[in-house]
Amino acid sequence: MISIKNLHKHFGSLHVLKDVSAHVSEQEVVVIIGPSGSGKSTLLRCINYLEEPTGGEIVVDGIPLSGEANINKVREEVGMVFQRFNLFPHMSVLDNITLAPMQVRKMPKGEAQAVARDLLAKVGLADKAQAYPEQLSGGQQQRVAIARALAMRPKVMLFDEPTSALDPEMIKEVLDVMKALAEEGMTMVVVTHEMGFAREVGDRVIFMDEGRIVEEGAPEEIFANAREERTQAFLSKIL
Amino acid sequence: MNFDIDLVVRSLPLLLLGAGVTIQITVLSVGFGLLIGMFVGMARLSTRRLLKFLAAVYVDFIRGTPLLVQIFIIYFALPMILGQRIDPFVAAITACSINSGAYVAEIFRGGIQSIDKGQMEAGRSLGMTWAQTMRFIILPQAFKRIIPPLGNEFIAMLKDSSLVSVIGFEELTRRGQLIIARTYGSFEIWMTVAVIYLIMTFAIARLVDYLERRYKIDDKH
Repeated sequence: MISIKNLHKHFGSLHVLKDVSAHVSEQEVVVIIGPSGSGKSTLLRCINYLEEPTGGEIVVDGIPLSGEANINKVREEVGMVFQRFNLFPHMSVLDNITLAPMQVRKMPKGEAQAVARDLLAKVGLADKAQAYPEQLSGGQQQRVAIARALAMRPKVMLFDEPTSALDPEMIKEVLDVMKALAEEGMTMVVVTHEMGFAREVGDRVIFMDEGRIVEEGAPEEIFANAREERTQAFLSKIL
Repeated sequence: MNFDIDLVVRSLPLLLLGAGVTIQITVLSVGFGLLIGMFVGMARLSTRRLLKFLAAVYVDFIRGTPLLVQIFIIYFALPMILGQRIDPFVAAITACSINSGAYVAEIFRGGIQSIDKGQMEAGRSLGMTWAQTMRFIILPQAFKRIIPPLGNEFIAMLKDSSLVSVIGFEELTRRGQLIIARTYGSFEIWMTVAVIYLIMTFAIARLVDYLERRYKIDDKH
């Protein structure tokens, strides 16, 4: 579904991704972990071209990421959930969700609203359609953001530290929604510090440090007996 | 010195007619200025170098030269190239619109830049184009924030529109001059003209306050 080959990313003189290659299969849940500044968020943002790679190639669902037309096509297939939600504050929850399907997919309003209401029910917020983002808690906002991304019927969902900006008591409600999504067979790439989630939901864990993929493998493998010293050092600090 | 109230009363209808024309120039100029400014403001943030450069040249040229000179260029210099006289009304509106556009462009630029960049990323990540994201997400939010500076621009344009009197266009200031030429009532007429300007700018300031408060409440939701 996603294939990344020899990816490089420079921010000026800063080399944040160094020759990263990775593959994500259909229906797979890949969790990327690593210390902050390791390049994991940048890698995720390269997948839908919010960051422009300085070298290498990325192919998503058979579409190579090059040229404005292809980039928009890929973005239609790839949903993204941000750390800080990024809901549109001047629109109701319902309008947040229906905007892109109506503008990009040219879906009629009635249909878009029906889809939005289904998704809101799915994330447990059926009664919040007319609310504005500001009136919702962080956990609720993030669930709306997930519904908004799902409304485009993406083939892949990217999560960029989706629970890092949340109060502790709200983390579970978001992780539960993500877990349900994984169980339905959604292809997911998740950058997170929630090791419980990585262990329970992840099919594969990628550990990154200093712009490189240090180690990857099944969660039980990585968490129980990581081969690399750096992985062990990182895990011993957070587990 | 005697203050000739009767002269003021007799002149008032003509002056108010002039004030109407002043409002007309201002509304049209700021209206066109808004359109120009919105696109130029976006162009200044474009990643296309040429577009960005041209927008910067326009803004710098207009803000770096007096409006009076711009009016002269449009009314006296341009006809030499076109080989045809320009109607004072068209010249006045054109000069003021182009002038206002440069100031409004900077206001829009600031407003757009004040919107969190996560908003653009969210729009783009949903597959919307840059233009769609601007139109539905960025501009509506930016517009609310720039109401106060746009109000200031409106007031500034209302006052600066007095400059088009130099090309004989009969707005409020020109009407005052013409009445004085007949009656020699300099003091009475200029004081009256000043008060009429003051009433108009005051009214706009109150309107802007009202809009600002309304949208602040709207923002809270």
